[in-house]
Amino acid sequence: MTVPHQRLSPDPALALRGLVKSFDAKPAVAGIDLDVPAGSFFGLLGPNGAGKTTTLSMAVGLLRPDAGQARILGYDVWADPAAAKARIGVLPDGVRLFDRLTGTELLAYHGLLRGMDAEVVDQRSAELLDVLALGADNRTLVVDYSAGMKKKIGLACAMLHAPRLLVLDEPFEAVDPVSAALIRDILQRYVSGGGTVVFSSHVMAVVERLCSHVAILADGTIRMRGTLAEVRGGRSLEDVFVEVVGGRTATGSELAWL
Amino acid sequence: MAVGVRHFVKLKLRITANGLRGQTWRVALFVLGAVLAACAAVGGYALFSLPGLLDEQRAAEVALPLAGGLVVLGWLFLPLVFFGVDESLDPARFALLPLPRRTLIRGLFVASLAGVPALATFAGTLGMVDSAARLGGPAAALVQFVGVVTGILLCAAVSRSLTSAFATALRSRRARDLATVLLACVAALLGPLQLAALAGAENADWTGIARVADVIAWTPFGAPYSMGQDVAAGRLWAVPVKLALVLATIGLLLWWWSATLERAMLGSVGRSGPRERAASARKPVAQLVPGWLPRTRFGALTAREMRYWWRETRRRASLITFSVVGIFLPVFIGVSSGTVGAPTGMLVFVGALAAVSLANQFGFEGSAYAANVVAGVPGRLELTSRVAGFSVYVVPSLLVIAIVVGLAVGRPETIPALVGMLAAAYGVGLALVLPISVRVAYALPDTANPFALSSGGGMAKGLLTFAALFGAALITVPMQLVAFLAHDVWLWAGLPLGLLYGGGALLLGLRLAGPMLDRRMPELLATVTARQ
Repeated sequence: MTVPHQRLSPDPALALRGLVKSFDAKPAVAGIDLDVPAGSFFGLLGPNGAGKTTTLSMAVGLLRPDAGQARILGYDVWADPAAAKARIGVLPDGVRLFDRLTGTELLAYHGLLRGMDAEVVDQRSAELLDVLALGADNRTLVVDYSAGMKKKIGLACAMLHAPRLLVLDEPFEAVDPVSAALIRDILQRYVSGGGTVVFSSHVMAVVERLCSHVAILADGTIRMRGTLAEVRGGRSLEDVFVEVVGGRTATGSELAWL
Repeated sequence: MAVGVRHFVKLKLRITANGLRGQTWRVALFVLGAVLAACAAVGGYALFSLPGLLDEQRAAEVALPLAGGLVVLGWLFLPLVFFGVDESLDPARFALLPLPRRTLIRGLFVASLAGVPALATFAGTLGMVDSAARLGGPAAALVQFVGVVTGILLCAAVSRSLTSAFATALRSRRARDLATVLLACVAALLGPLQLAALAGAENADWTGIARVADVIAWTPFGAPYSMGQDVAAGRLWAVPVKLALVLATIGLLLWWWSATLERAMLGSVGRSGPRERAASARKPVAQLVPGWLPRTRFGALTAREMRYWWRETRRRASLITFSVVGIFLPVFIGVSSGTVGAPTGMLVFVGALAAVSLANQFGFEGSAYAANVVAGVPGRLELTSRVAGFSVYVVPSLLVIAIVVGLAVGRPETIPALVGMLAAAYGVGLALVLPISVRVAYALPDTANPFALSSGGGMAKGLLTFAALFGAALITVPMQLVAFLAHDVWLWAGLPLGLLYGGGALLLGLRLAGPMLDRRMPELLATVTARQ
């Protein structure tokens, strides 16, 4: 096992500085500065198309930003990718897994890819498959998994090498309530053990229940950030969110034909 | 409002145009493809109108059906081997729309004609109308025009139905059996083929060829292209018979296509259920990595590639196609050319063709490559393991090809040298293809058809394939020169020389492409991720 120890510096787990990204001259992310304190459970909120996935992709080295910096535990993702990438586990959204492998094979693949010893991979994979109720002797290909099972195996792959920072894009999408509760438990235990979780979501209930810190993203910029209590300010998170994002409510006169 | 054929054509043109929007290299490829196709069309027209210009009635009767038959054959094989089919109109997308099957088939069929290859073929074969007009007057020209139109319909029907049927077959669980049967058939064909080709080569005179052409003119392959000459020769009765023959063939092919299409459309919604596999008691790492590979990053990457070449339909299709073409072609050429000695040039082609399967290796798995980017796999390691995983299948095939070819041409003592030539071509091909796979990868559409390409993809694939084949032929010229000039030396020096040559080229290619991949991992991921 060669997972590096967390440096004893006050570096934030994830620090974004002036991140900008445009697709075909259309800005997707227009200058984001964000600090995720180590040991926090950080929720990145935003409506569809706000730039959540784009931001997280740039933070973990999947998408090259037009400008700006991303640092993971003090290591620059784009200048020193090897050091930064060794310290994170990622669950991307809208990205396929190597789904022609069985779940067990996929875990073994990710473990060896992270440079872990085969014995450790064997032991941890069996444990993860058991805890996530995926079945250690299940030989179904991941492509034939249900959507919820795919999320779970993706999460297992992201956690296998015990990273200090987990970046999860929509981890609760398409997950049934039973699995969601299980995932919540696992993530909470991970954070209480000193890990940091950054995840994106637009399900307010989950965020309110889990997060210590939140940031609200809309149209590629951060509209609001802080601890959960600061952002909420005594109201429900959903009210704050709709107000900040500026949603519209139906008056009832349109769609009369429905 | 009734849905007509023109809606499908408009949709196809719109999708093609949108696919080009804002992508300079795609526009460039498209233009290049169109120019090449126009050249081919002009060349074809000139060639096909030659018999008329020379006023050679008998020559026209022999040459036109033969050439026309070749055109149809080309439409049959080229999509399978080189180009794939342009499936910008994916049949599965129409599954939920309330369309009668007849409307759907007619629409998809006509839309498949609205493309560069079909237009170029049509324009080229119009030369036959020219010939018919000069030899038999306006009546012959009119009949030949009808023939050419049915001909292009036949070409499209052949390529559509065959790729669709092959795709359906490959998706099924019996695909492995099918592959085995195909290979066995080819192997079994070798004996009789050899005899037939030898006999043909011995009496290769004008009357022999003319007799063959007369027979072909009565098959669906040659029939559409011989009608005009029938009028010119006064055999008016032949025209309706041939027309009926061709139309019946088209009808049958379309019916077959629609049957396989139905299955494909259902398949994309409700697969045949998850594959049941026997539970395994082995440890996770042992399940992934076979015992003879190291339990390291390299082992994991290679093992994953090996699984993918067999489990993913697209890759399996390209493996099987390569094996069949790889054995069939050199033996066929070697035996029928009649010259003593092995078809060295053909083997260079086969070795390079093997490597070309990797030209879009990152496109195969699409966005799944993100896992390797996040893990920060070094470029050199990534490429080495991919070559290793692919070679597990290809190197044995190449050995078999060398042995079969050596035996088929009756020169078993040349087998080691043939292996050397194949190794050199494969190595050089890989060296050329690896940078290509990093620089010009493209996304593959997410459909059930392993031969499907998004619009423009076929052009890219074809061009890159030819570039790599041409490059490999060029770079292996020293090897071929040694083989040609110093035959006795080549017999014993061919194997070590070829291994050194191919190995050296591969190392160079890895050294070049590895850092290239390191620099552009995220960009590569973006290009192979299918746009939603």
